[in-house]
Amino acid sequence: MNNTNSIITIKNLKKFYGHNKVLRGIDFTLQQGETVAVLGPSGSGKSTFLRCINYIEEPTSGEIYFANTLITHKNIQKIRQDIGMVFQHFNLINNLNVIDNLTLAPVKLHLMTEEAADKKARSLLRHIDLSAKAESYPASLSGGQKQRIAIIRAMMLSPKVLLFDEPTSALDPESIGDVLSLIREVADAGMTIMIVTHEMNFAKEIASRIVFIDKGKIIEEGTPTEFFTHPKTPRVREFLEKVL
Amino acid sequence: MNNFFNKLVELFTTPEYIDSLLHGFILTMQISFFAIIIGLILGTIIALVDTARRTKWMLLPKFICKVYTTVIRGTPMALQLFIMFFVIFAIRGFPQIITAILAFGFNSAAYVAEVIRSGIQSVDIGQTEAGLALGLSRFAIFRYIVAPQAIKNIIPALGNEIITVIKETAIVSMVGMYDLNMAAKDIGSGQNMASYIVPMFVAALFYLAIIYLITFIVKRIEKHLRKSDLKTTEA
Repeated sequence: MNNTNSIITIKNLKKFYGHNKVLRGIDFTLQQGETVAVLGPSGSGKSTFLRCINYIEEPTSGEIYFANTLITHKNIQKIRQDIGMVFQHFNLINNLNVIDNLTLAPVKLHLMTEEAADKKARSLLRHIDLSAKAESYPASLSGGQKQRIAIIRAMMLSPKVLLFDEPTSALDPESIGDVLSLIREVADAGMTIMIVTHEMNFAKEIASRIVFIDKGKIIEEGTPTEFFTHPKTPRVREFLEKVL
Repeated sequence: MNNFFNKLVELFTTPEYIDSLLHGFILTMQISFFAIIIGLILGTIIALVDTARRTKWMLLPKFICKVYTTVIRGTPMALQLFIMFFVIFAIRGFPQIITAILAFGFNSAAYVAEVIRSGIQSVDIGQTEAGLALGLSRFAIFRYIVAPQAIKNIIPALGNEIITVIKETAIVSMVGMYDLNMAAKDIGSGQNMASYIVPMFVAALFYLAIIYLITFIVKRIEKHLRKSDLKTTEA
């Protein structure tokens, strides 16, 4: 039905909280290998948009297809294994140490043996230079360390797409760089990525496509060059004047 | 003071008095123990229903639990005890101790449910979202993520509730049961020691001792849970 390369196809997605219409009909397609940056003013619905994709937030109406399968209540739990997510507030599991945070899902979902999961977790930790923290609890880690571990936690299930929900908004300026370079590395390795961010320079550099959301609708889309140098709509022009 | 001391010696050297105190103490502990067990089990069930997701077949159980906790927490324990004794279990020959256990168990369940509910709800929603995003089931999220964190918030308040139950069982003397409180009154009455101060003082010590012991145990458990929470590789 769709282009065979599309990983996620969204049709007329709406999300209302009572009378508050956060998403007012979004149509969107994410292609394999793309890095899409979702920009927009605060309160525009960009985080809600991202969180609706894996049903962390339940859409009010609309259709979401993952690899040409319509997402429903019945299949979403399984599909989530293929959609990694990184949160603004990291959301490492507080009562588990770093290793257990990484291995919990693959082991409990019977996707890996404990030994295999442990091995993969430790090699990913080594890769981000945090091997020493394997047995530490989240409470003893810095924000930047937590977020980098959250990113490799999402990688543990080898997802087909990674969703980043303002991954650097809760970080101090020093650790933002570490987290961004890890995201860049993941993108360069070919991962399909959607990222909601306020880091304009990062979006410009990393994204293959920019999506701009305002008041619950996508009002402009394009390559970073088009978007940042030749914005089509007055709203985007106004936004860019303020943030750049 | 001398008189007090003499009465104290009298109490502890008269086998009938000691016997009465121990009988009373044992009844108090029996009622408390089984009431607490019922309270914990029933209270946990109510809390789970209360915190479960609002699906359409959960609405009625949720409503029933809401009414239950509202009624129990909104009426005096002494009245609930009377209703159990003189209305619901007003059956000749029905063991009083069972009536009392049920009365206190049903009462405690409502409070335990509130303690557990607030403990579960105090766990950051982001923890559940992380579990969902990883593809875990609701059950696995509760079992491995939410419950272990909730327990840390629940234990201190639960210790409080256990202490409250033990002290509140003293009102069974109002329906004529021979618990520790009643034993003190009986020993101090006219046909026995003819002085209330010593038996009541001793009964108070009994209550205090058991409650101190429970406080101590709860503190130890709390400390243990916190330690595992903060330990790092460096520590």
